[in-house]
Amino acid sequence: MIRYAWKTSRRELLWFPLALLFFFVVIVAMLPHPGVRFTITRGYLGFFVPLLAGITAAYAVLDDPALELRFATKTRHAQTLLARLSLLLAVQAACAIAFQLFVAALGVDLSPLGGVLDVQRAWLVPTLALAAAGLAGSLASAQCVTGAFVAGAVWLVQLLMKSWLLANGPRLYLFMGILEPARADLRASQGVLLAASASALFVAWLLLHRQERYL
Amino acid sequence: MIEIEGLSKAYRRTRALSDVHLRVGPGMFGLLGPNGAGKTTLMRILAGIVHPTHGTIRVAGNDLATESGKRATKAMLGYLPQELGMYPDLTAAQMVDYMAILKGIGDAAKRRRRVAEVLEMVALTAVADRRIKSFSGGMKRRVGIAQALVNDPRLLIVDEPTAGLDPEERIRFRNLLVRLAGDRTVILSTHIVEDIGQTCRDLAVLGRGSVLFRGSPAELSRIAEGHVWSVTRPQLDEPEPGTTIVSMLHLADAVQYRVVGAWNDPGAGALPTPPSLEDGYVRLMQTSS
Repeated sequence: MIRYAWKTSRRELLWFPLALLFFFVVIVAMLPHPGVRFTITRGYLGFFVPLLAGITAAYAVLDDPALELRFATKTRHAQTLLARLSLLLAVQAACAIAFQLFVAALGVDLSPLGGVLDVQRAWLVPTLALAAAGLAGSLASAQCVTGAFVAGAVWLVQLLMKSWLLANGPRLYLFMGILEPARADLRASQGVLLAASASALFVAWLLLHRQERYL
Repeated sequence: MIEIEGLSKAYRRTRALSDVHLRVGPGMFGLLGPNGAGKTTLMRILAGIVHPTHGTIRVAGNDLATESGKRATKAMLGYLPQELGMYPDLTAAQMVDYMAILKGIGDAAKRRRRVAEVLEMVALTAVADRRIKSFSGGMKRRVGIAQALVNDPRLLIVDEPTAGLDPEERIRFRNLLVRLAGDRTVILSTHIVEDIGQTCRDLAVLGRGSVLFRGSPAELSRIAEGHVWSVTRPQLDEPEPGTTIVSMLHLADAVQYRVVGAWNDPGAGALPTPPSLEDGYVRLMQTSS
C-alpha cells in the first residue's frame, strides 16, 4: 500500500522538499557565522518545512487521476487520508532530520531551542497543523489550490501577527516552539495545536464522505 | 440483482434524474441515452459514489442509502468510469495490483495470480510490465476492464467504454463484455446505439433524467414501425417538423435518404422501410421531446 502510495503520488511531493532542503543546505554552507546559521536553521525547520507540508497536503488526496476508481472501491476514507498524509509527512520528516544532521556536522548549536525532542516538536507541531489545514481546505472547497491558499494564508497571518497572537491567543500560535521556546505555556500551546490538527483531520474525513463533490 | 425505486438526483439547479424505476437481472443490460441524459449520474449512484436525492436502490439486497450497504455493494463491484484516469507511471500489472489492494485483496500470492488472470483475459499479458503512459486508448480501456474484474465482481458497470476506440477495438471490447456477462450483471452505458444492439437483450433508454423506454432491442426497433421511409430524390427539402433524416447516401445522380418520423406527406417514391434499432431510438426521442 505504502509502495503504491508513493508511486501514485505526484513527483513534486519529493522534488519540492528536496529542492528546498538543498537550497537551505547551500545557504548554511555559504554563511559561516554561527548565529546566522542558527537563524537559518530555525527558519527552515520552523517556517518552511510546515509551509511546504501545508501546500503539499492540499494536493495529497484530490490531485489523483484515478480518484473515481478509488472512490468505487471499499477502501475506508481514513485509510486514504492516512496513506496520503503519512507519505508527505515522512518526506518532510526525512528532510528536517537530514538538515539537522547536516547543521550538527557544521557545529550549529540548536540547544537554545531545547533538547532534541523539543526541537522535533518545534517543527512537527506546526507541520501537522498546516498539513491538516491545507487538506481540510482543499476538501472543503473541492479545490487543491484553495487548500494550498488556506495553508499559505494561515502561515502568513501567523508570521505577520506574532506579537498580537502571543498576547491574545498564544495557544494558537504555530511558531512558539521555534521563536519562543522558553515560554511556560509552550506545551499547552502544542497540545492545543495538535487538538486543532486532529479536529481539522476529522473534518477532512467527514468531507471525504461527500465523494461526488470531487468528481 | 438491482432494484431502483423512485430515484431522483438534483445538483443545485439541475435535475439529473427524475423518478427512475428499474429492475435489472443477470446478463448484459444496456443503458442508452443522449449526452446529458443522466446515464453517468445513474452509474455513479449505482457505484456508491454519488448520493441520490430521493429514492431507494438495492444491489443484491444491499441498501445503498446506508454506509454498510454501500461498502457491501462496492465489495462486489467492478467499475469502469467514463473518464478513465490512471497512473501513467505504473505498469499495467502494477495498476491492476494496486486496485486489487484497494479492493481489499490482501493476500499477495492470491493477488498476483488474479492480476495475471485478468490481464490474460484482456490480452495484455505481453505488455503487463510496460508503463501505462505508453499505451493506446484501447489498451488503457483494457487495463480499465482488468482492474474492474480483479475482484471477480458480480456487478460490472461500464460507462461509455467504447468512446474514442477505433472500430476494431470497439468490436473486441464489445465481445469481451459479452463473454464476461455470464452470471454477472453487466451494465453497459452508452450513447452508441450499435453497441447496445450487438450486446444486450435487455435495455433502458434514459432521456432528460427519466426512463423513456424499458424492453428489448427488438421492442425498441418496433417503436419506429410505420415511421421509416427510404426516399431517393435529386434533393430533399427541409424535412417536416417531427421527422429526422437519419442517413444520406449519395448515388450517381441522386441522394438516397432514410427518414424517421411522423411524415404526413412522404410523396411518391417514398418506400416504407423496416426499422432498425437506431430508427427506434430516434423515434423514441422524437415522441418524448
